[in-house]
Amino acid sequence: MRDNQHIVTAFDDDLLALNSSLQDLGKMAITQFELSIDALATQHQNTLDKIIKDDAKLDELEAEIHEKALEIIAVRSPLAKDLRHVLVALKVATILERTGDYARNIANRTKVIATAGNENIPGVNIGRMGQVTRDMLHDVMRAYATRDADKALDVWRRDIEVDHMHTAFYKEVLASMSRDPNVVATGAHLLFIAKNIERIGDYATGIAEQVHFLVHGAVPEDSRPKADRTSRVVGV
Amino acid sequence: MDTSVEMMSDSKLKAQKVNVFYAEKQALFDVSLGIDEKSVTSFIGPSGCGKSTFLRCFNRMNDVIPSCRVQGQILLDDVDLNSPKIDPVLLRARVGMVFQKPNPFPKTVYENVAYGPRIHGLAANRQEMDFIVEDSLKKAGLWKEVSDRLNDQATGLSGGQQQRLCIARAIAIGPDILLMDEPCSALDPIATSIIEELISDLQSRFTILIVTHSMQQAARVSQKTAYFHLGQLIEYGDTKGIFTRPQNEQTEAYISGKIG
Repeated sequence: MRDNQHIVTAFDDDLLALNSSLQDLGKMAITQFELSIDALATQHQNTLDKIIKDDAKLDELEAEIHEKALEIIAVRSPLAKDLRHVLVALKVATILERTGDYARNIANRTKVIATAGNENIPGVNIGRMGQVTRDMLHDVMRAYATRDADKALDVWRRDIEVDHMHTAFYKEVLASMSRDPNVVATGAHLLFIAKNIERIGDYATGIAEQVHFLVHGAVPEDSRPKADRTSRVVGV
Repeated sequence: MDTSVEMMSDSKLKAQKVNVFYAEKQALFDVSLGIDEKSVTSFIGPSGCGKSTFLRCFNRMNDVIPSCRVQGQILLDDVDLNSPKIDPVLLRARVGMVFQKPNPFPKTVYENVAYGPRIHGLAANRQEMDFIVEDSLKKAGLWKEVSDRLNDQATGLSGGQQQRLCIARAIAIGPDILLMDEPCSALDPIATSIIEELISDLQSRFTILIVTHSMQQAARVSQKTAYFHLGQLIEYGDTKGIFTRPQNEQTEAYISGKIG
């Protein structure tokens, strides 16, 4: 990302450091999310505990990024692309930290599901939904690293797939709950987990918009395709 | 960039294909732009880019440099300033100028402001002159600080006060336009803030053109910004756009501190 260098080389160093911290936060958020999806299937206690414990590291790194961005604004008075770089870093850091929060929440709920020991829970599609969302997150952070607005827009458009899966899964869980009252508690947690995954998909599109803004100075003009219909489901 | 005449039909000031030479050396190349009335326009660019030369075209200050030749048209309310019919002295009454370093006359505060109106015969008697001096000092935001020191030597004022006195002096002869050539470069941050606030106040009465090396100052005080490089007008547009998403790579590099 070191294109034209600044006359004040320490400014370049500051921006590189900010970028590097954001990439680290991105890797941590993706890992936390991946582990939470895996642990949803395996219900592996140590993994679940690790996810919950490690969330604090994301919070710390986000705070460091905020501090660094504040320092750059105060000391360097960034303008044009540099200014967008700092603003986007602030916004993406917040999104990634919240992604971590959702991963922790998935882990917390998975622990409850594991304790309930319910064997008849539906869950075929949630793994796939998690995988697609994880790939979106990975690809959009790659687009951020390479300043590739086209690749970011590609991720932005893919979110509709997650929306479709979420709607289908929602109906599936609701049907299970209506058939068997014993799975209601587990089903409720699964609905929240699915919603968390769907929100992470939305976050990936949020990062994509920031990449577009970083490169072109404006967010995408078109409205994003959406297909989450869960708020309209009245019964099964 | 679009420099079409239609684009600036409503402009107070228009530059059309302005070329300036110092002897054989060309300092400005085909510069065309329109300046909105009662607005602040910043000229930015690295040293030697021609921004101050361009500023001086608007009150024919380049006339006083023997080797300097100006080609093209500078129109004020559609009248060509370079026409032989234009008296540069009268022109400079309409187009006032404030320089980098405060340069009060070695006279009293009162006399500094009264000097121009007296030469131009703007006051019939002492009472009228008193009014002009007070009004100009008020518009320059200096009256409260000097109202009881009008007969003190102007050189005894602080740097920031001296610069505001120079602004009062320029205002006193009733100009439409104020040219400011790095007016804050010799001032501390507090005095700079006071001048910037003053520029914002003056904007409702005057069309202001300012040359500045401070990107933040240009961003703070002006509505339009023009970026010059090696005598060329590279980019001209809304200040907000220039500092957040410049269209030209050279502008981007300059405002981001990437070229010297």
